[in-house]
Amino acid sequence: MRAHRATLLRLTAVALMIGAAVLLSGCEPFSSAQNTFSPGGEVAEKQKNLFLLVLWPALAIFVLVQGGVIYIMFRYRQRREGEPLPLQVHGSPRMELAWTVAPAILLAIIAVPTLGALFDTGRKPHDDALRIDVQGQRFTWNYTYPGYLADGAPLQLFGEPVSEDQPQGKPAELHIPTGREIGIYVTAADVIHSFWVPKLAGKIDVVPGRENYLWLKADKPGTYRGQCAEFCGASEDGKTGHSQMRLIVVAESPEDFEAWLESQGAEPAPDAPPAAEETAGE
Amino acid sequence: MAQAHAAGGHLETSTGLDNRKLLMWLFLGSECLFFGSFISAYLLYRDRNLTGPYAADLYDIPFTSVSSFVLLMSSLSMVLALAAIQRGDMRGLRIWLICTALLGITFLAGQAFEFTEFNREGLSLSTNLFGTTFFVLTGFHGAHVTVGVLILLSMVAMEARGQLTPEHSLQVELAGLYWHFVDIVWIVIFTLVYLIQPQ
Amino acid sequence: MAMTATGGPLTMADAIKQIRADAATYRGIWSWIATVDHKRIGVMYGVTAFIFFLFGGVEALLIRTQLAAADQTLLDADQYNRIFTMHGTTMVFLVIMPLSSAFFNLMVPLMIGARDVAFPRLNAFSYWLFLAGGLLLNASFFASKGILDGELGAPGAGWFGYAPLTLNTYSPGHGVDYWMLSLQILGIASLAGGFNFIVTILNMRAPGMTLFRMPLFVWMTLVTSFLIIFAMPVIAVALFELTFDRLFGANYFNASAGGTPLLWQHMFWLFGHPEVYILILPAMGIVSEVLPTFSRKPLFGYPFVVFSGVAIGFMSWGVWAHHMYTTGLGSVANAAFGVSTIMIGVPTGVKIFNWMGTLWGGSLRLTTAMLFSIGFIAMFTIGGLTGITHSIVPSDYQQQDTYYIVAHFHQVLFGGALFGLFSGAYYWFPKFSGRLLNEGLGKLHFWLMFIGFNLTFQPMMVLGLLGMPRRIDTYGSGPGFEGWEIWNMMATTGAFIIALSIAVFMVNFVRSLRGGEEAGADPWDGRTLEWAIPSPPPAYNFAEIPQVRALDDFWHKKYVEDATGRPVPVPAGASNGHEEDESGGGHGIHLPSPSYFPLIAAIGFPLIALGLMYDHALVAVGAAVVLVGLYGWVLEPATEE
Repeated sequence: MRAHRATLLRLTAVALMIGAAVLLSGCEPFSSAQNTFSPGGEVAEKQKNLFLLVLWPALAIFVLVQGGVIYIMFRYRQRREGEPLPLQVHGSPRMELAWTVAPAILLAIIAVPTLGALFDTGRKPHDDALRIDVQGQRFTWNYTYPGYLADGAPLQLFGEPVSEDQPQGKPAELHIPTGREIGIYVTAADVIHSFWVPKLAGKIDVVPGRENYLWLKADKPGTYRGQCAEFCGASEDGKTGHSQMRLIVVAESPEDFEAWLESQGAEPAPDAPPAAEETAGE
Repeated sequence: MAQAHAAGGHLETSTGLDNRKLLMWLFLGSECLFFGSFISAYLLYRDRNLTGPYAADLYDIPFTSVSSFVLLMSSLSMVLALAAIQRGDMRGLRIWLICTALLGITFLAGQAFEFTEFNREGLSLSTNLFGTTFFVLTGFHGAHVTVGVLILLSMVAMEARGQLTPEHSLQVELAGLYWHFVDIVWIVIFTLVYLIQPQ
Repeated sequence: MAMTATGGPLTMADAIKQIRADAATYRGIWSWIATVDHKRIGVMYGVTAFIFFLFGGVEALLIRTQLAAADQTLLDADQYNRIFTMHGTTMVFLVIMPLSSAFFNLMVPLMIGARDVAFPRLNAFSYWLFLAGGLLLNASFFASKGILDGELGAPGAGWFGYAPLTLNTYSPGHGVDYWMLSLQILGIASLAGGFNFIVTILNMRAPGMTLFRMPLFVWMTLVTSFLIIFAMPVIAVALFELTFDRLFGANYFNASAGGTPLLWQHMFWLFGHPEVYILILPAMGIVSEVLPTFSRKPLFGYPFVVFSGVAIGFMSWGVWAHHMYTTGLGSVANAAFGVSTIMIGVPTGVKIFNWMGTLWGGSLRLTTAMLFSIGFIAMFTIGGLTGITHSIVPSDYQQQDTYYIVAHFHQVLFGGALFGLFSGAYYWFPKFSGRLLNEGLGKLHFWLMFIGFNLTFQPMMVLGLLGMPRRIDTYGSGPGFEGWEIWNMMATTGAFIIALSIAVFMVNFVRSLRGGEEAGADPWDGRTLEWAIPSPPPAYNFAEIPQVRALDDFWHKKYVEDATGRPVPVPAGASNGHEEDESGGGHGIHLPSPSYFPLIAAIGFPLIALGLMYDHALVAVGAAVVLVGLYGWVLEPATEE
C-alpha cells in the first residue's frame, strides 16, 4: 500500500521530468523569449545540443536508480515481524569494479564532445567579427560600436538606469546583424554583472578590472531578450535593482543593420524611441 | 591544553600519540593553509600595483635580515628550554624561556620599527596593493609571534608559581612546536616577500 | 576528578558510585551552561540549529511568496536581497553544519566506545562560539537603520558575498560587517570542532576498534573534519581580507587600485566546494548506518564506501572553479575543472550503487528513518545527475546563476543533507530520549516533505532552463517571462507543504518526548556500539569500555551465522565467547568537570566583532574577556583526556 504510493510518486516524478523536457524543447507556450531550449543562434544551439546529449544518459541512470529503488521497496519489504534474516552479503569486488568503471567510461565519453564544444564556444571572437564593447553598470547596459561613425568615432548607446520615475529603467537596444559573428567584449563600471541572452549564447561575467569576451551569432532577425545574471544588488532607495537590469538585442538583416547604423551616424533621430540613444564623439 | 593532567590518570590513546600533541599538529596543518592563503594573495598582487611606493623603494634587507636572524635564534633557545625541562633543569628552563621571549620581543620591536618607517615614507594599508598585502600578511605573522610571546611568558609565570614541573614537559614541547612553526613561516615570508622581488 | 581526589587506584564499583552521585547533580539550567558532556552539547547543537532552521525556513517562505506571481511587491528589491542572503547563510552555516555537528557530538563517542570527546571543554567552546556567531548574524536585522527603524539591517550581498558588491561603496551600513564577522566566529567554532573530532576518532577508539571497524558515520565525520580544518582557514583569510577592505580601507578587492574581485571568488570557492562536501558527507554517513540496520544486512562494500568518501574528500579540492566557469578563466582552465568535476561523479555514483546493493536482498523495515534514507538516495541521485550537467562546461554557460542551479543545490543540500539528517533524527531520537518518535506522524512528515520538496524544486529546474536567473526579486509578465508564473506558483505551493511537514515533525517531537513509546536500549536491532548501552545513555556512556572484535561488533554479539551463512540469534543466556574478557580493563571512570570558561572565552568574540563595528574600545574589552576565559580554562584543574 505504502509502496504503491511510493511507486506512483516516483513514476509521476519521472513523467514530470520527461514531460518537462519535451515541453521545453518543443511546445510554444513554454518557449519564453529567454528559453535556453529554443536557440536563435549557433552558440546557443550547440549548448542546447550538448545539454540534450547529457540529458539522455542522465535520464537513463535516473530511471535505473529510481526504478531500482521502487522495485527493491516492493520486492524486499519485510512482510511480517520476525522474518528470518536475509543472507548477509558483504559486497562484491566485481560489482564494485563494474559500477566504478562503467560510469567512468560513460563520463569519459561525455567529456569528449564537452571539450570540443568548450574550446569552440569559449574561444576569443574572430578578428573579422563585429566588435561591440558592452559595459555593465548598475542597473543598465551601455554599448559601444568602435569606429562606426562617419569620422571614425565610436557609436555609443547608453541605457538609462532605473530611477524614481522609471523604476524599470530604459534599456538601450543592442542592434546586431544576422548571420555574422559578433564579438562581445564586456567590462564593468561598478560591481560584477553577467551578460546573458539565453537564445543567443550562454553568459559571460562582467568583472570590474578586466575585459571578458564572448562570441555569438543570430540566425534570424528578431528581438532577443535577456537580463543580468550575476546578482548586483539594489538601488539606493531599495525599490529596484538586479532584476531590472534587462537586455534587449535586436537582430536585423545586414541591410537593415546598415540602415540602422546610418540612422545613428548621420543624424541622431530625436524621435527614435524605444531606446534612449545618444551619439557620442565629435 | 589541560593543565592538570593527573599522573596515573593517563589513558592510552589508539595511536599512542598524546591527544594534545595530535591537536597541535592538526592546528599547525590548518595554519599552513591560513598563511598560504595570505602569501598567495601577496604574490598574486605583487606585480599589479598601480601606484608607489613599491616594495623595492622601502625594503631594508640588511635590517630585516638581522631581525630574521634574531627570530631564528629564538628557535634555538626554545630547543634549549625544552631540553632543560626534559632533564629537570628548571633554572635552565626559566632562563631559556625568558631568552626566547626576549628574542621574540626584539623581533616584534623590529617589525614595529619597520612598520612605522614604511608609514613615514608614505605607505599605509590603503595606499596601494603592496601596502594592503604587506601589512596584513606580516601583521598576522606578528600577531602570531605576539601570542607565542604571551604563551612563553605565561609559562615563566607558571613555573615561578610552581605550576610547571618537569612532568609538564609536554606543554613546553607544544609551545615549542608552535614557536618553531611561526619561525618557519617567517623564513618563507622573508624569502618570498622580501628576497624575491619584482623587477 | 575521581582519580585525583583520592590519589589511589579506585575500584570499578567505587568509581561508578562516584559518577552516579555526580550525574545526579546534573540538573538545572546551570548544569547545562557549564556542561562539557558531549551528549548534552550535541542536544544543544541540535536544538539551536533547529531554531535557526525555523528562521531560515520563514525566510524561504518570504522568498517564495514574493516570487509566487509576477510583479509582486511584498518585499522591495533591497529587502528581498537581505532576506535571501540571510536564508542562504543561515541554512548553510547555522543549520546544516551545526546539525551535522549535533550528530558528531551525540554519536561519535558512543560509536567508537569512548566516554567523551578528546577535549570536552574545547567542545563546549565550539558550541558557545556557534551560538554567539548565530546570534550575531541574526542581530544584524536590528543593526543601525535596522528593523527597529522600519528597515532590514541584515546583509544583502548574497551568501557567497561576491566582491566588490560587499565593499562599503555598494553595501553601506553594517549588514555585511555582521555577516563577515559572524562567519569568522562560526569558522573558529567549526575549526575547534574539526580538530576535536579528528583527535577523538584517531585517539579515543575502544580497544579493537581499528579504523576499518569504525562505523561509516564515524568515517564520514573524520573526512568531514579534515575538510573543515583545511577549508576553514581559507575562508577565514578571505573574510579577513574583506574585513580589512571594509573597516580599514585596504585594497584587496578594489579594482581601481589594481585588485581583482576574482580573488574573492577563488578563495571563497576553494573553501566553498569542500564546504559542499562538509555539508553532505555527514548525511551520507547517517544513511550508511540507517540502511543496513533496517535492511537487516551489512553495508554492501564497506571498504568501497569508505574509500569513495575519502576520494570525494580529496577531489573536492580540485573542482572549485566550476563555480566560476563564466568569469572568463579561459578555456584551458575551464576544461581542466570540467574534467575534474566529471570525475567526482564516479565516487559519488559508487556510494549510490553500494547503498542500493545494501537494500538488495534485504528484509526492509520501512520505518520513517528508513524512508528518509531511501528518499535521500532518490533525491540525491537527481542532485548528482544535475551536477553532471553542470560539468558540461558550455551547457553550464547557460545554466550558471539560474534557477537550474538553485534547484540543483537544493536537491543536494535539502533532498540530500536534510533528508539524511532527518533520517538520523528518527533513528537516534530513541537513544537520547528513551522514547520512540511516533511512526504515523513520522510517515506523514516524510510524505509531506517528499511531495513538498519535489513540488518546490523540480519546477525550479524548468524555470532555470526557461531563463530565470537566480536572485531576482521579481519578474514581469511581458516578453521574456512567458510561462514563468505557473512554475513559480508550483514551487511556492511546495514550499508551504514543506513548512507543514516541519510543523508535523515538531508536534511529533514534543508529543513523543513526553509520552512516546518506551524505546529500550536497542529498539531497531542495531549494529553499532551505541545500541549496546541504555537509552538514554548514562553520563559515562560505557560502564566498561567495550572490546571490539569486528565491524558491526554489537550485531555479531547478537547473531551468529549458521552453516549456510544465514544469521541466527544467539540463544538467550548462551554466550558466543565475547562476554568473558570484557571485565578487567581496570580503568576508573573519570569524567571531565563542568566548566564555565569555554562560555566566557566564547562571549569575548562577539564583543570583539561589535567593537570593530561600533567602538574600538569594546575590542579591548572583548579581547580581555577572551584572555580571562582562556587563562581560567588552562589553569583550572580538570580531568581532561
